[in-house]
Amino acid sequence: MVMLDKVQTVRRMCPVIFLLDTSGSMEGAPIGAVNSAIEGVLPELISMNDSNADNEIKVAIMSFDYGANWITGDELVSPEDLKSSWKDVYANGLTAMGAAFKELNQKLSASHGFMQRASGSVAPVLFLLSDGEPTDDYQSNLNTLKQNAWYKVAARVAIGYGESNDDVLREFTGNKETVLHTDNPEDLKKMIRFVAITSSRVASTGSSAVTPNNNPDDNTQNVAIAIQAQGGAPTPTLAPADPDDPF
Amino acid sequence: MANSVRLKKFQQVELADGRTVTVTDKLGEGGQGVVYRVKFDTGEEKALKWYFISYFKEPKKFYNHLAENIKAGAPSAAFIWPEQLTKWIDGESFGYIMDIFPAGYESFSKFLNAKVNFKSVKAMVNAALNIVSAFKSLHNKGYNYQDLNDGNFSINPATGKVLICDNDNVVGHGQYSGVLGKARYMAPEVVRGDKQPDKNTDRYSLAVILFMLLIGDHPLEGMKTNVPALTNKYDKRFFGTQPLFIYDKDNDSNAPVPGLHQNAVTFWKYFPSFIKDAFQQSFSQDSLLNIRGRLLEQDWFNILMRLKSSIVRCPQCGEEIFLESDRETGCSKAHKIKPVGYLNFTKRSNQAVTVPIFKDAVLYDYHVSGSEDFETVAAVIHEKPGKFGLENKSSKSWFVTAPSGQSATKQPGEILVLGLGTKIDFGNNNIATVVAN
Repeated sequence: MVMLDKVQTVRRMCPVIFLLDTSGSMEGAPIGAVNSAIEGVLPELISMNDSNADNEIKVAIMSFDYGANWITGDELVSPEDLKSSWKDVYANGLTAMGAAFKELNQKLSASHGFMQRASGSVAPVLFLLSDGEPTDDYQSNLNTLKQNAWYKVAARVAIGYGESNDDVLREFTGNKETVLHTDNPEDLKKMIRFVAITSSRVASTGSSAVTPNNNPDDNTQNVAIAIQAQGGAPTPTLAPADPDDPF
Repeated sequence: MANSVRLKKFQQVELADGRTVTVTDKLGEGGQGVVYRVKFDTGEEKALKWYFISYFKEPKKFYNHLAENIKAGAPSAAFIWPEQLTKWIDGESFGYIMDIFPAGYESFSKFLNAKVNFKSVKAMVNAALNIVSAFKSLHNKGYNYQDLNDGNFSINPATGKVLICDNDNVVGHGQYSGVLGKARYMAPEVVRGDKQPDKNTDRYSLAVILFMLLIGDHPLEGMKTNVPALTNKYDKRFFGTQPLFIYDKDNDSNAPVPGLHQNAVTFWKYFPSFIKDAFQQSFSQDSLLNIRGRLLEQDWFNILMRLKSSIVRCPQCGEEIFLESDRETGCSKAHKIKPVGYLNFTKRSNQAVTVPIFKDAVLYDYHVSGSEDFETVAAVIHEKPGKFGLENKSSKSWFVTAPSGQSATKQPGEILVLGLGTKIDFGNNNIATVVAN
C-alpha cells in the first residue's frame, strides 16, 4: 500500500556530548561507575528517541587524560549504535581539560564538525565529568570555547567527583546549579545517570511548561530548573540498591 | 506519609476521596512529572500522574483546576481524563489517577518516526476523523486543550481509534493554563507572543496534526527552514513571525526538499484537491499572520468524510487511492482513473459532500442519516458492464426519483441503478443527486 509507506519525518539533531576525565585518579570504582552509568543511560536515550518526532539525540563521548580523544570517532553516533559498540574506558594519565575544551570547540561547528545535519540541530548537551585539577592550560581554551555559538546555547552540565575543582566546572557551565558533586562511586553512577537523562530530556524536548526562565535559549538554566523540579541531585543512600530499579 | 518528589515501589498514596492506592511500577516520565502504575486494594489498576511540584507557581490553583475538570467529566470516551486527585497536603507533591492505556495503541510520535504504521488507508483516515471528533466534543464542552501536539495522542494502527492523554492543561474558554505548547505545534500568534492559547490556536495545532498524520511532514518546514542551528530566534521566525506553508499557493520559496521532506514530496500529490485546498486555507498567510480562515472541527469532519468516501482501488493495479469525484486521479503507478460521475449531497457546514460513482465506494450512516457516524456502512456501489448500482445496506428504505418524475422506493438490501439525474432521498432531508462527469 503505497499510501502508507511513509518514511520517518524529518527530525533535527540533538547532540549529547560527554567529556569524561579518565585520568589515573579515576581508576577503580569511579571509572567503573562511569562505564556502568553510560551503559545505563543509552537505553534511556534510545527510548527518548523512539517517542520524539521533533529531535533525534546523537551522542559523542570524549575521554581526556594525557590528551583528548573522541571514543566515538569523528561523527556523532546514534545511541543504538553506541550501545552495541560500547567498550569500557580505562583510567590512566593526567587531566588535560584544556585539550578537551580545545577539541570540543573544534567539533562544535556546522561546517567541519559534529553539527552538520541537513535538517539542522538544536542546542547540544555538554556534559563534563572530572575528578581533579586541570593539568594543562584550561583557561585560554575555555575562553575560546565560550565564544562558540553552540557553547552559548548549549545545556551545560558538570559533575565533580572527589578532588575535582568545582570552580572550574562552574566556570564551564556558567551556572552553579548545573554542577553537582559527590565523593561516593555508587552515587556517582546515579548522578551521571540523573544529570545525563535530565539534560538530554530538556534539550531534546524543549520546555512546554512555562518556567521562570525568561530566556528560552538559556538551556543550561532550563536544565537547572528541571534538576530543581525533581528535588535536586539524587539523595545519597546507604542501602544496597538494585542499579536497574528506576525508582 | 510524606509525599516526596518521586514515589517508591509499594508506597501508598491517599486519594482525595479517602481511598488509597499502592505504587506498583513506573510507566513513564516527562518534564512535568512521573506516571506510575498503581493498584487499589480491590486489585483494580490505574495510572497515577505525579507532578514535580516546583514547576507550579501556584500548585493549589492547579490542583483546584484539576478538581474542576474531574467534576465536569471527560468530553468523550477518547479522553484519558483525570478521575480522582490525590489528597492535598500543603507544600507536598500531588497527582491524579486515570485509566491505564489499553494495549494496541501507539503514540502518534511513533507513527511519525515510522516505527509504527497504519494497517490500512481507512484506518489512517479514521484516525483523522477520530481526532477531529474528540476536539469537537472538547470545544463543545467549553474547553480548550492549549498544548495540542504529537505526544498527546495514541492511535490504534488497525482501527484508527484514538486516545488523548495529557489532559491536565485543558481549561475552559477564556482561561489560561500557563502552558504555551510545543514549538512546532504552537499557533504563530502564540509563538509571536501576541496571544495566549485558546480555541483558535487549538484549531491551528489541529491542522498541523492532521497534516502530519496524512502527509507525514511538518507544514511549515521546507527549503527555508534548513538552517544549521535551530535556536529560539529561528523557531520564532519559522513558526511565528515569518511562517510559510510548504505548499503555499502564491509562494514556493519554502517548498519541501526532496530526500529531506520526502513524505510531503511523495504523498501530497496523491491527495484530492479538496484536501489540498483545506490545508492551503489552514496555512495561508492570512491564517498564519492574521488568524483568519481557520477551519472549524465541523469543516474538517466533512472534508475528511469526503476523503474517506473517496477511498477505492485502482482497477489496474489494485492500489488503494483517493479518487476525486469530478476529475481524473492518478495512482502511484501513473494509471489514470476518472469516475463516470458522483453522488452530490447537500453541502454541510458549507463543505461539499460527494462520493465518486466507482466500484466498492462506500456511503456511511453520515451520508444517509445526517449523523456523525463514519463507521457504519449504509450503502456500497457495485459495477456491472454498462451500469453502476447502489446497494441499500441501511435499515431504512430510500425514495428515488428519476428526472422524468418517475419514482420508486428501495428497501434495505435492494440495489438501485445510478442513472443520470436520479435523486435519492434517504430520509430526513438527506438527499443526493447523480451527477455525470
